[in-house]
Amino acid sequence: MRLLRAGGLATVQDLGWIGYRSIGLPPGGAADRASLRIGNALAGNADGLAGLEIALGEVEFEFEHDRVFAATGAVGTLHLDGTEVPGWTTVAARAGQRCRLAPDRHGRFAYLAVGGGIDVPAMLGSRATYLPGSLGGYQGRRLAAGDRLPLGAIVAAIRVGTTGRMPAATGPVRIAAGPQERFFVARAFETMVAAPYRLSPMSDRMGSRLTGAPVQAERKATLPSESTAVGAIQVPDDGQPIVILADGPTVGGYLKIGVVITADLNRFAQVPLGGEVVFAWVALAEAQRVSRQAAENLARLLSEIRTAVR
Amino acid sequence: MTWSDTISPDVEALVRQALSALRVKLGPDVELVPGYTTITAHYRTTDWTYPSLRDALTPVLSHPGGGGAPAGGRLIEIPVRYDGPDLEAVAVQTGLSVGEVVTRHTATEYRVALLGFVPGWAYLSQLDPALVLPRRTTPRPRVPAGSVAIAGAQTGVYPAETPGGWHLIGRTTALMFDPTRTPPALLAVGDRVRFVAEA
Repeated sequence: MRLLRAGGLATVQDLGWIGYRSIGLPPGGAADRASLRIGNALAGNADGLAGLEIALGEVEFEFEHDRVFAATGAVGTLHLDGTEVPGWTTVAARAGQRCRLAPDRHGRFAYLAVGGGIDVPAMLGSRATYLPGSLGGYQGRRLAAGDRLPLGAIVAAIRVGTTGRMPAATGPVRIAAGPQERFFVARAFETMVAAPYRLSPMSDRMGSRLTGAPVQAERKATLPSESTAVGAIQVPDDGQPIVILADGPTVGGYLKIGVVITADLNRFAQVPLGGEVVFAWVALAEAQRVSRQAAENLARLLSEIRTAVR
Repeated sequence: MTWSDTISPDVEALVRQALSALRVKLGPDVELVPGYTTITAHYRTTDWTYPSLRDALTPVLSHPGGGGAPAGGRLIEIPVRYDGPDLEAVAVQTGLSVGEVVTRHTATEYRVALLGFVPGWAYLSQLDPALVLPRRTTPRPRVPAGSVAIAGAQTGVYPAETPGGWHLIGRTTALMFDPTRTPPALLAVGDRVRFVAEA
């Protein structure tokens, strides 16, 4: 497929890397992994094939071969040759047809999965784009007009019109306290959940910067650099939290008051720039229980889509 | 797992020993990442719960000697051409001659405590005290890959072109990160590093 316009931040992403944090390469990959996985299932692809992640603006591209595709995540505009087509649905495109896709303003990242997946060369087992290191993906960079993306082979006929999506989650984004609890004053834990935080437009794939009531540490402090997790809530001296996302640094010295639980990471990544997010504390055992439940629910949905799409 | 809130060679040695033992015990399914004074275990909640992993770790942490030799420990020599754009300024600010800056930078055998920041960046923290300077007041928007730099008590090599606020004293042709190589990073935790001046 050929990019005609790449208005926002469009990158090739899959599920990223496992096992390279200790040499400085973060997990990377799709910020909202569930949406990419559902898109791949709808496009008849194996789990983990690469698709497009689109933020901040509209992308237009032309199919060079007949292919099915599915748009997921924060689907806003989705047009095929000027005609609106549904998101979260398997759609057929013929060679020469043009597609426009933009994220909607209630979310942040839209995904496009194409039959066969985007077949750029893999680096260390992943086709994800790691922009801070100019590595992976399509020449290590964001996509631009004129780029031609190679597609993988199609393995089977796919039933057009298949649909599937996770039920929209509501309520606060759940967070769990971490091992650095002791560095914060008791009031800091109430501050985190007392009022909404707003997502700063300075946020990127490395981190979501929050603005709101400052979170107070016991003393101004950084720690000797240590490993960070995706979802970790760092608190710099100004008390404005930064939540690590997929491309976030693998190590850091900021104090961390807690972590966004795995079950709510995709939903948190979709909070729009300028949008509000409300947090709620949960105990670690509860966080792990609901995260296992969420993984099971997603696996069941993916399996249902894979059955329906054949 | 936290050993201390302050950095010291003794704590780094304890971390390396525990890391080695834990990797033997847990295998590749748990991603163990060292910091200066910590080891973080990344795991899937579908494989482990916090209590089940803690129960698996505890006996190893009580007897970390069971894992054999600590991780890494090779001596890696990095050839450096000392002609960086900040070399003269570093000499002026430290009150040393350019030759003395090079001699002191090459005299220390550094130990890799952790990697991070960008792929292949190794934190080397035992810089000669006479070379300790604050970061540049204005960071450069682009530091070339292979730049050898100092800041605070640390020295390092930029694996890729990135922004940076460190003082650039030289450059190396050594590839700090190469995804086509196994392992991709030139340096590993526990390795000893010596910079060697090229004529």
